[in-house]
Amino acid sequence: MLTVTGISRSFGGVYAVGDVSLSVADGEVCGVIGPNGAGKSTLFNLITGHLPADRGEITFLGRRVERLPPHRRARLGMSIVFQGARVFRGMTVRENVMVGMHSRTRAGFVAAALRLPRHRADEREIAREADLALDRVGLAEWADRAADQLPIGQQRALQLARALCARPRLLLLDEPASGLRGGERERLAALVEELRASGLTILLIEHDVAFVTRLADRVVVLDLGRVIADGSPAEIRADPLVLAAYLGQAS
Amino acid sequence: MKRLAGGLLIAAVTLALPAVLDDSSLAVYILLGLAAMVTVGVSLLMGYAGQVSLGQGAFYAIGAYTAALLALNGVPPLIGLIAAPVAAAAFALVIGTPLLRLRGHHLAFATLAMQLILLSLAGQLDVTGGDIGLQAIPQFGIGSFEAGSASAYAYLTWAGLALVMLVTHNVITSRPGRALRALATSETAAASAGIPVGRYKLVVFALSAAFAGLAGGIYCFYTGYVAPGSFPVLISIQYIVMAVVGGLGTIWGAVVGATAITLLVQGLDRVASLPGMPSYAPSVLSYAVYALVLILVVLFLPRGLLPTFTRARWRLFSGRRADLEYK
Repeated sequence: MLTVTGISRSFGGVYAVGDVSLSVADGEVCGVIGPNGAGKSTLFNLITGHLPADRGEITFLGRRVERLPPHRRARLGMSIVFQGARVFRGMTVRENVMVGMHSRTRAGFVAAALRLPRHRADEREIAREADLALDRVGLAEWADRAADQLPIGQQRALQLARALCARPRLLLLDEPASGLRGGERERLAALVEELRASGLTILLIEHDVAFVTRLADRVVVLDLGRVIADGSPAEIRADPLVLAAYLGQAS
Repeated sequence: MKRLAGGLLIAAVTLALPAVLDDSSLAVYILLGLAAMVTVGVSLLMGYAGQVSLGQGAFYAIGAYTAALLALNGVPPLIGLIAAPVAAAAFALVIGTPLLRLRGHHLAFATLAMQLILLSLAGQLDVTGGDIGLQAIPQFGIGSFEAGSASAYAYLTWAGLALVMLVTHNVITSRPGRALRALATSETAAASAGIPVGRYKLVVFALSAAFAGLAGGIYCFYTGYVAPGSFPVLISIQYIVMAVVGGLGTIWGAVVGATAITLLVQGLDRVASLPGMPSYAPSVLSYAVYALVLILVVLFLPRGLLPTFTRARWRLFSGRRADLEYK
């Protein structure tokens, strides 16, 4: 589904990501872990298109996408849950989720201003899909609340609902567990497990090793901008290079 | 039901006012409506889409000059009035392509510079009549009907305002409107939801310019002349003050803000033109008032007049936490 080949990005001559290759197969949950500064966020931004790559190729669903802007990649079926709160302020929970349907609908300014049939048809579909997505993450009863008043755990769930509303082919999660407390983290993990069971392909970038090894089918380990290991969670846990990278940082 | 009744009441008052006001009050009424029209655009641009423009006066001027030039060259006034917002929007699309890459203060100054450049061009070029401007613009009319009286212009103005408010409302409560509100918080997150951020910013900029252009078109027919002096930088600032005072990100707030500021400035003009006041008193007073009102509102009513009052009423009558609800 997603193939990244030899991608590189440097900042001021220092490689944040150097010659990284990885692939995510259909229906797989692929985890990317690494200590702080390993290049996880840079890699994430290269895949989503928020950062241009210096070199390398990204193929998504058989199409080269490394030169496409983020909104075009979204339209192809990439949905993102960002690290930290990226909840749209001044909008209700339902409206936030409705934004997720943007890539699957077409009614523009003229249709909206003149209330054309296309606008009405789109609005009906958007509202229905948003309610489905809200149900799926358990936020249905909060639908008419102001989104920015939600606790952080529910804001993360809201982002997930927005991403799901787009019916993604690939769901990208950037440090979804960061800032969450035990109970919230547990609920999020359960949600991701449900999504995996439903066959959704997921790329999970996360600092928390336990969180990733529990959810991922396969784990890629980054250190200093390079892939140092790629394998099943069990193999990763036993890999001396991985242990060294994490222990090296701890000492 | 309550909303419908409120709407009908406002419509009735709006329609009745031109019949009872004298000519000098009608002039205020018309200018207020025109200012509200521009301010709705400012509120859409700043309040909903999070983009700043200190150059809305330039689009107002483009609309006025476009309609005036067409009318003076024998084009039917209705065509001129339609061309006014189209020309303003077209100019916004061209100038917005480079400008909207800027954000915040940079965008504000760039739009301000755009207005200064346009004004000095209008003051230099022969086609726009230089500093003297364009005079003897024909009256507005459709076919054999001619808008000769001030009350006809009042109806035209407030019909235009109603149209602008309706379009804004329809846009805001729809797919593109949610996209605009989303990109105001985070362009990154909006882009990842599939929103072409650059294009949407450009369209909303052009839409707000079209509103200003329409107001400018009506203005030129009403006053019968346009000159660079009719569009000082101060009016662009005035629109911002009106939008902020009324409440950014509310459509009715723009009307409330335009009304409050227009009436305030009218009152001050009366004070400034009392015997014994220096000749520069009106302009000094209005600058001072814009600054003072802006500071006071931002300090004490940061949401603006309308949202503050609706929230207060909400709390009084329902006992619910208004700040948890947006609808």
